[in-house]
Amino acid sequence: MGLIRDVKVLTGGRDWRGRSRTPRSAAAHEPPEPPREFPTGWARTQVAQAARRALQRGVLTPLTWSQTRPEVQGRERLDALKGPVVFVANHSSHLDTPLILGSIPAHLSKRVAVGAAADYFFDARWRAAVTALVFNAFPVERHRSRRLRSLAPYLLAKGWSLLLFPEGTRSEDGWMSPLRLGAAHLCVTQGVPIIPIALRGTYAAMPRGRNWPVPGRARVVVRYGTPLHPAEGEGARAFNVRVGESITQLWAEEDLGWYGSLRAQARGELALPSGQQYPTGSWRRTWESTRPLVDRAPRRAWRS
Amino acid sequence: MSRPGFVLEVDERTPALLMHEGEGFRLEKLPLGSRVIYPPESLPGLRDLDAHIRHALANPLGREPLHELLRPGMRLTIVFDDLSIPLPPMRTPDIRQRIIEQVLELAAAKGVDDVELIAGNALHRRMTPAELKRTVGERVFRSFFPRHLRNHDAEDKANLTEIGQTRHGEVVEINRRAAESDLIVYVNVSLTAMSGGPKSVSVGLASYRSLKHHHNVHTLRHSKSFNDPPNSAMHHSYNRMAGLLDESVNIFQIETTVNNDTFPDYVGFLNKREWEWNLKDQASYLAVKRANDLAPPKQRRQIWHRTAAPYGVTSVTAGDPIQVHEVTTRHVLRQQLTEVDGPADIGIFGLPYICPYNVNSIMNPILVMSLGLGYFFNLYRGQPIVRPGGVAIYYHPVRNEFHPVHHPSYIDFFEEVLAETTDPVAIETKFEEQFATDPWYIHLYRNSYAYHGVHPLYMWYWGAHALEHLGDVIFVGGNRKTTARMGFRSASTLDDALEMARERVGGSPSINYLHAPPLTMADVR
Repeated sequence: MGLIRDVKVLTGGRDWRGRSRTPRSAAAHEPPEPPREFPTGWARTQVAQAARRALQRGVLTPLTWSQTRPEVQGRERLDALKGPVVFVANHSSHLDTPLILGSIPAHLSKRVAVGAAADYFFDARWRAAVTALVFNAFPVERHRSRRLRSLAPYLLAKGWSLLLFPEGTRSEDGWMSPLRLGAAHLCVTQGVPIIPIALRGTYAAMPRGRNWPVPGRARVVVRYGTPLHPAEGEGARAFNVRVGESITQLWAEEDLGWYGSLRAQARGELALPSGQQYPTGSWRRTWESTRPLVDRAPRRAWRS
Repeated sequence: MSRPGFVLEVDERTPALLMHEGEGFRLEKLPLGSRVIYPPESLPGLRDLDAHIRHALANPLGREPLHELLRPGMRLTIVFDDLSIPLPPMRTPDIRQRIIEQVLELAAAKGVDDVELIAGNALHRRMTPAELKRTVGERVFRSFFPRHLRNHDAEDKANLTEIGQTRHGEVVEINRRAAESDLIVYVNVSLTAMSGGPKSVSVGLASYRSLKHHHNVHTLRHSKSFNDPPNSAMHHSYNRMAGLLDESVNIFQIETTVNNDTFPDYVGFLNKREWEWNLKDQASYLAVKRANDLAPPKQRRQIWHRTAAPYGVTSVTAGDPIQVHEVTTRHVLRQQLTEVDGPADIGIFGLPYICPYNVNSIMNPILVMSLGLGYFFNLYRGQPIVRPGGVAIYYHPVRNEFHPVHHPSYIDFFEEVLAETTDPVAIETKFEEQFATDPWYIHLYRNSYAYHGVHPLYMWYWGAHALEHLGDVIFVGGNRKTTARMGFRSASTLDDALEMARERVGGSPSINYLHAPPLTMADVR
């Protein structure tokens, strides 16, 4: 009886893993998290690569393509490129990574690692293991905290191309945030080119908070830009500005067309699509960002 | 980096909280809104302790380096704190051993032959040879015991010397050998802010004639608290005595402080905050609690008393007693002090299995009173954690058991004196002299291992301030008869205790719980 009573008192207020929530008044006194680095080296072994290829080609890409209508543009710009490179894209949905991984040209797609938020994807071991296996993800510290030494330079040195989302997190409302310097700095110091990518329609197809795309196979666009090489003596800030301008132009291409977006950029009419024309908190921000992309494909002559 | 102390406010997320209850512990769900006072996390211990000791002896505060104070032909007396601190006893090698060995190395190098080692046990029981050996180490013990390593005898009139009287008429009488030495090296462990400094020699080596000037009801009622020396009448008395001693004896004080690593790893959950317990902590809590509850009482006590604390030493300071003690007190408070915003209607205290007077012994009801209403109640600065007229709730079984060898006068005090009165002043007036001068008690103190006859009365005085301050005292899980004999009440559960406290503090009282383990001192604003 005593044991049962002790167990009841002990487990009261704890979850099935025996964890207690931190009392509110103790929240400011939480211990600093011990450095904990999830090893990802195993996910780059031959066996893991083969498993990943099977998972991506057999499950992930078909599933993504079945739930959305992806339109991939500008892939030919990568034809002459050899790895490693850094793919940099805007980020507003969990669809972004599968869409990019499923659309990267074959000669680059075999060796791509994805930077994933350490505090989100690597906080639980099971999630870290799945993320590392399926996406070849490696942890990225996004709060400038403390602990992890970035794996990115090491991976580039080993010939892995990287996919990074320099906004640092998925967009809250579908619009873009300023690009952080990390990716540009990495490319400037390592001397590798950046491939800018603009993703349109992914927020409307699967916004934050959803774990499955909206019904109806929403149209999404993956648009690859011209590779950008850091110029001789160019600093990370200047290079980052160029990357931002390139993504902005690719974003506008959806609305203005290729030539129209180039002209608009030449006239200085383009700015990072941060939705600043809509006041913060306005319903119109979300309304506009969830607007389905206009279907530009020619009508099919024959319908079944 | 250790986290600072803080006050937890119990909310619906707060799990049951740990508390001592004698030779056991329990988790208790406190009412919502209760405040729980946690000390700073255990500070890191010094890494190369021997190097720190060497440095302290060579660079003392307000004194020449120790090796310069030593010379051939001198009389050197090394006095050390007895087994009453630290609590629980520390893992060997004891810090006193490490210091004494270095002092003796220096003395040997300087050719000092006349060396005596004395335990500063005042009216405490003598330490057994095994306890002495554990404290000073094998090498020192073999070299000096029994002729030159001994306990202080406060009743050996021939070996006591009256130094003089303070301006308040307080007699200062200490051990003759120490008084006539060219140098006294005092080796101290400061577990709380009350110990060390002027208290060391003036109390540790004193006699009843000297001790009665500060160990009395009046002084203790005006020591608010005795862990806050500037506001403690008891420490004012120590200071006056130490001032007098300073004129006639040369004291080289070596003080140390320890961190809050009170329990070994296998009961590591005792040192952790409850919501941070992992599965291993919870499993070991259940296993240790069940094993402890099911163990026969004798074995249970033996196991607890064999538990040695893996303390880290946080400071070693040597030199002039006053200057050294300032540093020491800062280190103690750095480890224990937590700021609290005002007292509450009810103070809750979990009392452990050990107090300064039952090391390797039994915690009898008088010692429970002294620990609860004396030591724990006085772990404050500013004001007590309970408001005047409030209620103190203690967790302890308060069994009617005594160690007949160690505490003979306690038995008579409990059976005869407390049956007549529990008023400290009445006890002091009517019974103190009788207990202090009883030849049988004196004989047992000098020749057996008994505490001095007057010691249980001192223990009662120790709680005099709390008795005056509190409206009611309730022991959760306490034996009804023994608690009633002492003028307290007992309750089966915390809910019952809170119900009993209603008449004093109403139906929705504010509650402060002084979290123990580990040792916590409240700075109540």
